[in-house]
Amino acid sequence: MLKYVLRRFVYMVITLWVIITATFFLMKLLPGNPFGEAAAKMPPENLAILKAQYGLDKPEWQQYLKYLGNVVKGDLGVSYQFPTRTVVEVIKQSFPASLELGIESLALSVIVGLTLGIIAALRHNKWQDYSSMFIALIGISIPSFVVAPLLSLYVGNKWGILPPGLWEGPENRILPAIALAFGTIAILARMMRASMLEVASLDYIKTAKSKGLATGKIVVSHMLRNAILPIVTILGPIAVNVITGTLVVESVFVIPGLGYQFVSSITTLDYTMITGLTIFYAAILIVVMFLTDIVYGLVDPRIRMSGRR
Amino acid sequence: MGKPILEVNNLRVSFKMYAGEVQAVRGVSFTLDKGEVLAIVGESGCGKSVTAQTIMRLIPSPPSYIKEGSSILFDGKHEISKMSESQMQNIRGNEMGMIFQDPMTSLNPTMTVGAQISEGILKHQKKSKSEAMKRASELLTLVGMSNADERLHQYPHELSGGMRQRVMIALSLACNPKLLIADEPTTALDVTIQAQIIDLLRDIQEKTETSIILITHDLGVVAEMAHKVIVMYAGKVVERGTLEDIFYNPRHPYTWGLLRSVPRLDSDKNAELDSIPGTPPDLYAPPVGCAFAARCPYAMKVCKEIDPEHFHVNDGHSAACWLNHPEAPEVEMPVGIGRGAHG
Repeated sequence: MLKYVLRRFVYMVITLWVIITATFFLMKLLPGNPFGEAAAKMPPENLAILKAQYGLDKPEWQQYLKYLGNVVKGDLGVSYQFPTRTVVEVIKQSFPASLELGIESLALSVIVGLTLGIIAALRHNKWQDYSSMFIALIGISIPSFVVAPLLSLYVGNKWGILPPGLWEGPENRILPAIALAFGTIAILARMMRASMLEVASLDYIKTAKSKGLATGKIVVSHMLRNAILPIVTILGPIAVNVITGTLVVESVFVIPGLGYQFVSSITTLDYTMITGLTIFYAAILIVVMFLTDIVYGLVDPRIRMSGRR
Repeated sequence: MGKPILEVNNLRVSFKMYAGEVQAVRGVSFTLDKGEVLAIVGESGCGKSVTAQTIMRLIPSPPSYIKEGSSILFDGKHEISKMSESQMQNIRGNEMGMIFQDPMTSLNPTMTVGAQISEGILKHQKKSKSEAMKRASELLTLVGMSNADERLHQYPHELSGGMRQRVMIALSLACNPKLLIADEPTTALDVTIQAQIIDLLRDIQEKTETSIILITHDLGVVAEMAHKVIVMYAGKVVERGTLEDIFYNPRHPYTWGLLRSVPRLDSDKNAELDSIPGTPPDLYAPPVGCAFAARCPYAMKVCKEIDPEHFHVNDGHSAACWLNHPEAPEVEMPVGIGRGAHG
């Protein structure tokens, strides 16, 4: 197992390096420059000074090496848009809210999604199945930019049950978490249903039945563990998506999260911010995938073994 | 041989599908005595597996259902066809065990061998976990696995196909069932392993005196261990008899065909293996007369019009074929069948 973890770790570092390199050079291919319209009106000497200050006058491979060195030291550079703030500071400030919201909504979607999926599979082609899948259909077809404002407007404003926005007490977490979980619930419910139905048709379920086990026992000890495997696989990327923040839900509920920062950095062509946040996003994704692989190994003994060899 | 452990009477099983009703089993009757091995033989789709799985009520209903008038009397007191699911759960694994065809897929990949064997023991017997594990270890030794205590903690993917089938056998024997149903237990295995598994089953049968229903299309396996044989075709029993009756004095052209399609040591090595031409009938709409008539080289006019009843040949031997009617023309049994056909 240790060897497996070590090897995965090396792959992780290589993947991250590829992503840093690709993002860095792709950024350079973007048209325009980070100093915006002001650059056009600026005397060339001033622009040259500015470029020198940010190291943009040097050849690109030198900029790349310097940047790589800084990243290794944990320095993602200074924002072009807010020259007083470093990218790391921005992340430190905005990420906690996104992370918390993400974890809450993830927990909600896993619990609700899997339950719906399991019910649907066990009551296949009965009304419970149809209603679960109807809920899932709604979840998939209604985007969060519709759900979030509706929740904020009705539950928040008109009925006044929960606060319509802001990021203060625990009661502020509920509506955004629901809005964010909506789509994920649908995906998880559908996947879990399909996976359960597949497992139910396998031979070893018949074996379990031939031992005289009750249906509930068969579901718990034979079906769930095998059915959850494909869910573990997709849960990684889903988790990353959810915890790194989403522009829509964060702006509707006025949450100071990372999603907003990412979008604004792109519109202002804030090189360091875009690269920095991309690397951060990628790093989280890779770490979560790594954790997913370990969980996978715990759930499925076949994978644990192939890693050992 | 003692009193019957299982009496199946006029068993009819159908599947309700969108396209209509598939009559998979159309009136099967047989009895199985204590300590006896009964082989059910027939080609794919003849209803042998459905019959076997219906005895344990393993086929989900819907779409399958047992038709009115069918009876499966187990151990002289349990009417299987009328039992509720929870009553069945007390019988399955406890008084009946089942061995499935493909050991690669019939064990749960995420559970250890020990856990899978002890599960049934824990369900049916008042035993602690460690007692159940001890019993599981004994069972693994019984089915010829070395280092049984280590094996308990292994997962199915760490075992070969033959080993897994041994585990399956151990699992089915966990609670000393009175009836063991082996549904093509050797079909998915290598030839050398097949022989080992059959030897093992025969050994266990002799030691434990369990009654066994052996579902197979391999006549070699039948010859190895069956006492009685029923030959099924298109959901019906076409011939029944002792092992000797079926191999030395078969009375149904379908049985002849089956016997002729087995390779023989003394046959011409360049000759092509015989096969029965044609395909089995569509069970959505079974034919009016004998179901085999369309493929039968001896078919007469009556065969296509009236489905033959079983004709008595001798005690326990009967065949559902008009050729056995007193007024039927004499037909020579094809060469190579009869005396010396097996062995």
